[in-house]
Amino acid sequence: MPELAPGSAFPDLDLPDHTERPRLLSEVAGGDPVVLSFSRGWWCPKEQRYMGRLVELQAELEVAYARLVVVSVDPPEVQAAFRAGLGARFLFLSDHERHWLDRLGLLEEADTVHHPYLPVVFCLFPDLTIHSRYDGNWFLGRPTTSELVADLRAISHGIRDDWAPA
Amino acid sequence: MVDRLCLEGEPARGALAHVCALPDEDATVPFDDPVVQGVRQDAMAWWIPLLGSSLVCLTTLAVDESRCAGAITVVTDDRHLGDDPFLRLFGGTVVKTDLFSHVAPPPGPVLERYRGAPWPGGSF
Repeated sequence: MPELAPGSAFPDLDLPDHTERPRLLSEVAGGDPVVLSFSRGWWCPKEQRYMGRLVELQAELEVAYARLVVVSVDPPEVQAAFRAGLGARFLFLSDHERHWLDRLGLLEEADTVHHPYLPVVFCLFPDLTIHSRYDGNWFLGRPTTSELVADLRAISHGIRDDWAPA
Repeated sequence: MVDRLCLEGEPARGALAHVCALPDEDATVPFDDPVVQGVRQDAMAWWIPLLGSSLVCLTTLAVDESRCAGAITVVTDDRHLGDDPFLRLFGGTVVKTDLFSHVAPPPGPVLERYRGAPWPGGSF
């Protein structure tokens, strides 16, 4: 099981997106920093509220060269409906077959009905090195939009050669 | 210019290109125009999901680093082409084509272009 801590490499997830198209996390990153948010699923009120927070952030990320990816065990067609209802314009990846759930060690064992992911948010460098991790089992553990922007700023500062043009 | 990735892979035979553009050289709008931004937001929000597996690729048309001459959406099924949000820029024409290849659609939410490349292409 990989150590999902700052400085470690995050596994290169291969999962279908909300349109059932196969995706590879490293290709999705495409040279940009990534906010990778593991979510219990559409049914959870805490997830619905937190997805609203990420939707608030998307307009800034549209012009900030940073990616936003949500992973849950919802099937793609459910993710597509949830995404549309939220007004989200970012990517959802579906692990409805629990392909990565145990391998990542992120199973929420308290939910014996849905067997979902623990809500954990990572900020990743483009090469998928973990910059920061937020454990959101308690809602207040989840990063605010300000914290995410600060993390993405720190990553971008480190990878953009023209961060402060002379 | 189109996103170069759309022309690099194995061509999708018998696809349909919905070309939202005009032959007039002056038929361009700035990429920074809110209408162009809004159309790309709509592409991310519902156009790409609506097309589903029918989508081969899509690209905006860049005349230069700042001006947009429309877009091309390539599909295998013409059912939804009347809903193409890029029709808000220019009228559409459907052309049968063997030129374009399958390209994964942009993951979002980034809409801003990379170094003047036609969206969604380019990267740092």
